[in-house]
Amino acid sequence: MRAWLLLLGGLIVWAVHFFGLYIVASVFLTTDTARMLALLVTLACLIADAMLLAAAMRANRAADDGTRRWIASLAALGAAISLVAVIWQGLPALLV
Amino acid sequence: MTSETGFDPKLYDRFPTREPRPEGELEELERIWHAPTGWARLTVVNNNFIGTWYVGAAFLFFILAGVLALVMRTQLALPLQGILPQETYNQFFTMHGTVMMFLFAVPAVEALGVLLLPQMLAARDLPFPRLSAYAFWAYLVGGLSFFCSLFFGLAPDGGWFMYPPLTSIAYSPGINADFWLLGIGFIEISAIAGAIEIVVGVLRTRAPGMTLDKMPIFAWAMLVFAVMIIIGFPSIILGTLLLELERALNWPFFDPTRGGDALLWQHLFWFFGHPEVYIIFLPAAGLVSMMVAALARTPLVGYQLIVLALLATGFISFGVWSHHMFVTGMPTLSVSFFSAASMAVSVPAGIQVFSWIATVAVGKPRNNTPTLFLLGGLVTFVIGGLTGVMVALVPFDWQAHDSYFIVAHLHYVLIGGMVFPLFAAFYYWAPMMSRRALSERLGKWVFWLMFAGMQVAFLPMHLTGLMGMPRRVYTYLPGRDWEVTNMISTIGAYMIGLGVLLFVIDLARNFRFTAGDEAGNVYGGGTLEWLPTGLYSTRSIPVVKSREPLWDDPKLSDDVEAGRYFLPNSATGHRETLITSPIRAEPEYLQIMPGPSAWPLFAAIFTAGFFLLLTVQAYNPSIASGVLAVLCVLRWLWETDRPVAKAHADVGAGIILPTYATGPRTHGWWAMTVLLVVIGMIFVMAVFSYLYLYGVHPSFWTSPPDAPWLLPIIGGHAAAAGFALLARRLLARERTTLWTPATLVLIAAGFALFAFAIDWWSWRATGLTGATSGQGATVHAFLALQGILTAIVALMALYLAARNARGIVTRPRNNSMDLTVMFIAYTAAQGTLAALLTRLFPGAI
Ligand code: HEM
Repeated sequence: MRAWLLLLGGLIVWAVHFFGLYIVASVFLTTDTARMLALLVTLACLIADAMLLAAAMRANRAADDGTRRWIASLAALGAAISLVAVIWQGLPALLV
Repeated sequence: MTSETGFDPKLYDRFPTREPRPEGELEELERIWHAPTGWARLTVVNNNFIGTWYVGAAFLFFILAGVLALVMRTQLALPLQGILPQETYNQFFTMHGTVMMFLFAVPAVEALGVLLLPQMLAARDLPFPRLSAYAFWAYLVGGLSFFCSLFFGLAPDGGWFMYPPLTSIAYSPGINADFWLLGIGFIEISAIAGAIEIVVGVLRTRAPGMTLDKMPIFAWAMLVFAVMIIIGFPSIILGTLLLELERALNWPFFDPTRGGDALLWQHLFWFFGHPEVYIIFLPAAGLVSMMVAALARTPLVGYQLIVLALLATGFISFGVWSHHMFVTGMPTLSVSFFSAASMAVSVPAGIQVFSWIATVAVGKPRNNTPTLFLLGGLVTFVIGGLTGVMVALVPFDWQAHDSYFIVAHLHYVLIGGMVFPLFAAFYYWAPMMSRRALSERLGKWVFWLMFAGMQVAFLPMHLTGLMGMPRRVYTYLPGRDWEVTNMISTIGAYMIGLGVLLFVIDLARNFRFTAGDEAGNVYGGGTLEWLPTGLYSTRSIPVVKSREPLWDDPKLSDDVEAGRYFLPNSATGHRETLITSPIRAEPEYLQIMPGPSAWPLFAAIFTAGFFLLLTVQAYNPSIASGVLAVLCVLRWLWETDRPVAKAHADVGAGIILPTYATGPRTHGWWAMTVLLVVIGMIFVMAVFSYLYLYGVHPSFWTSPPDAPWLLPIIGGHAAAAGFALLARRLLARERTTLWTPATLVLIAAGFALFAFAIDWWSWRATGLTGATSGQGATVHAFLALQGILTAIVALMALYLAARNARGIVTRPRNNSMDLTVMFIAYTAAQGTLAALLTRLFPGAI
């Protein structure tokens, strides 16, 4: 379970972020409240991603065999890409 | 090295074994895995047969839907033609789209999974062979009957996404729409059955040593595909159920004048519908990744990035459903979020495309048919991807929406992303099941006709669309400059048709099914499906040490064939396969598999009968057919879950594994968990519908029954779950005669029934009916779902009691018991949540 959570962590954060934004925009429509909340959700998810990235890199260094290293580096890639994707996904709150 | 299960990886060093194998082992394997002959062949469950038939059936539907397309293109070749009257044209495009999406694309890739996965993973078969057989037969019988509706003028005509109010009873009074709703609802059951099989198969039946990082990309793709089906399809199952309930019982889910909302359908449909596009594309991409490496004769560039891309697509594709609804007036901010996600989702596809290009560039590809189809598919798919980015830009979409630009876009993506790779796969993998490979000479003709035809047909359609021609029109007036491009498109369509016809000729001339003396590894692939096989799959199951074991160990085929690896014989005298751990594929236990049986076939026929008879409103025969289907399923299950004489068996080189296992690590437990996720997702979508309707039409909401009713309801559910869990505990105690565990399960079922009855009755007492309002409709939908679950609980409890009476409930633990208890506990949880939601929200908040 832990291995899967690490592996999919970044993508799960992305999903939480996306559905968070969806709920915010559906409930508060295009308002300043919605924008503020969207930024807060984005910030929280970015922190989560950064922590995941650090954890994955630690796991990668600590790995004692190929499979574990592979999983850790995939997790790190996932967290990194999630970091960028969360910023991208949150941008409309500032721009639109 | 670390271990996942306590299995010592050093044991792998015992393979390949050196000692000679005893005589007669191979003959025994052949006898055990022998397929019935004559008419009994229909009861076969081996994945070689079921997989090949499955692929064949999907291809048949491709041809049928293709013929519809040709007739439509003939009608549109010139303005004001009279080949297809308007009503028939509507049925044609609806059937074409529906059959292509639901009866061709998804089943075709699922079928390839059934056919290829056991081979690639070196399993003897998928973990639930009878389930695959059931899924196949249900799909074939149901699909053909569904298609036949066209001949009676009863085919659905609301477009492949069936938007209400057009498809509500007021505007579609006939039974045409019901054919779609019940037919598709039914096909989805088959798809979900296949998905459960694939998830458990990929995670639990890989060859020992095939850790996640050594899994063939196709297995990764199929894993993501199956999970996406499990998350995505429940939404459309609920949608079709609600629309059918609205049509049959007048419950206004989608009627805004009574607190429903037509847009709810669009949300439910596209939450499934957009991932559906990736559900089709991902397995095809997996096939491409496999083939491109073999055909370019070099390992795939960026394996890890491709895995990441597959996983990312799986997630992001669930965040883009509303991009089909940009013109419905959603809040601007929502639209922008969906637009951002829609652009993001093209990144993983881009990663894969670049990786394929790099692999081709690094390797030494030859000019052969599968390579041509791969490259042709790549070019076509990239064009479709680019127009996709165009329509992800909201202002552009406002212009292009519902025009032929969209028809062009979707065909570029589907044909480039799925059809061409599929044809490549046909050419590439045919030698695995056929005595002769398909013809290279004819194949090149097939490719060039199809590829050129594709561009000729669909490139001009972009222009036709930009010039304003709407989609789904049966004809147009002369003098709008649409004649030329339409004529060109029709010519292109016929070129594709000719290519497909040539392919059929090639098949007829060269394809000869076999499971023994196949043409073999014509293109030099490095993965396990190219090991020599019989109906028992490989003679022995190799230890996997790399991603392309055949390239890295040239002796592997011989060693496998000589029985020098796992399971060189039948360890128990039954059909069996190794169950391995999900991450590191360490051997855990030996699964005993069921052999051929007619019951899945009968169950499938009666299931199809149930849905079809329901459609034509023959209610009593329909119910009878449904009952028969259930009986057949129970009969087929009856023989399963029984320990065999040998409790432990030597699976090779002195490694001993148990032959019966219980608890959370078993394949049955996994399958039940996946099934509960499906049911849970249906529930989640129902919750979404409830909240959504309250959100848009709160004025229709009335107060729920008084809160104290919650006590007996929640109490009943708690008692049901409690008794079920207690029964499981007591089973471990020897000699509990007075209160046999099966009796406790029956009592648990009684409590589940009680809780449901109180729930239902207390709502009736308020006077709120399903037809009253959107609230009434959704509340009753929750009740209907709970009613179905409760009925299944009752059935399972009775089944368990019958098994117990026959003394086949093993102690201290038993799988049938475990799964029943899981189901009851889930039912109780869902019932509690539904009762709390409908009674406390919005009132108490
Ligand atoms: C083989 C060549 C094909 C041709 C010539 C073709 C032609 C057409 C035509 C003429 C339409 C109707 C357009 C309209 O009136 O709006 C259409 C719609 C459609 N096609 Fe195809 N098609 C082909 C292959 C496919 C494939 C392989 C798929 C999917 C895997 C597919 C999926 C669809 C869908 C989803 C629609 C929309 C139906 C609707 O509007 O409800 N087509 N196609």
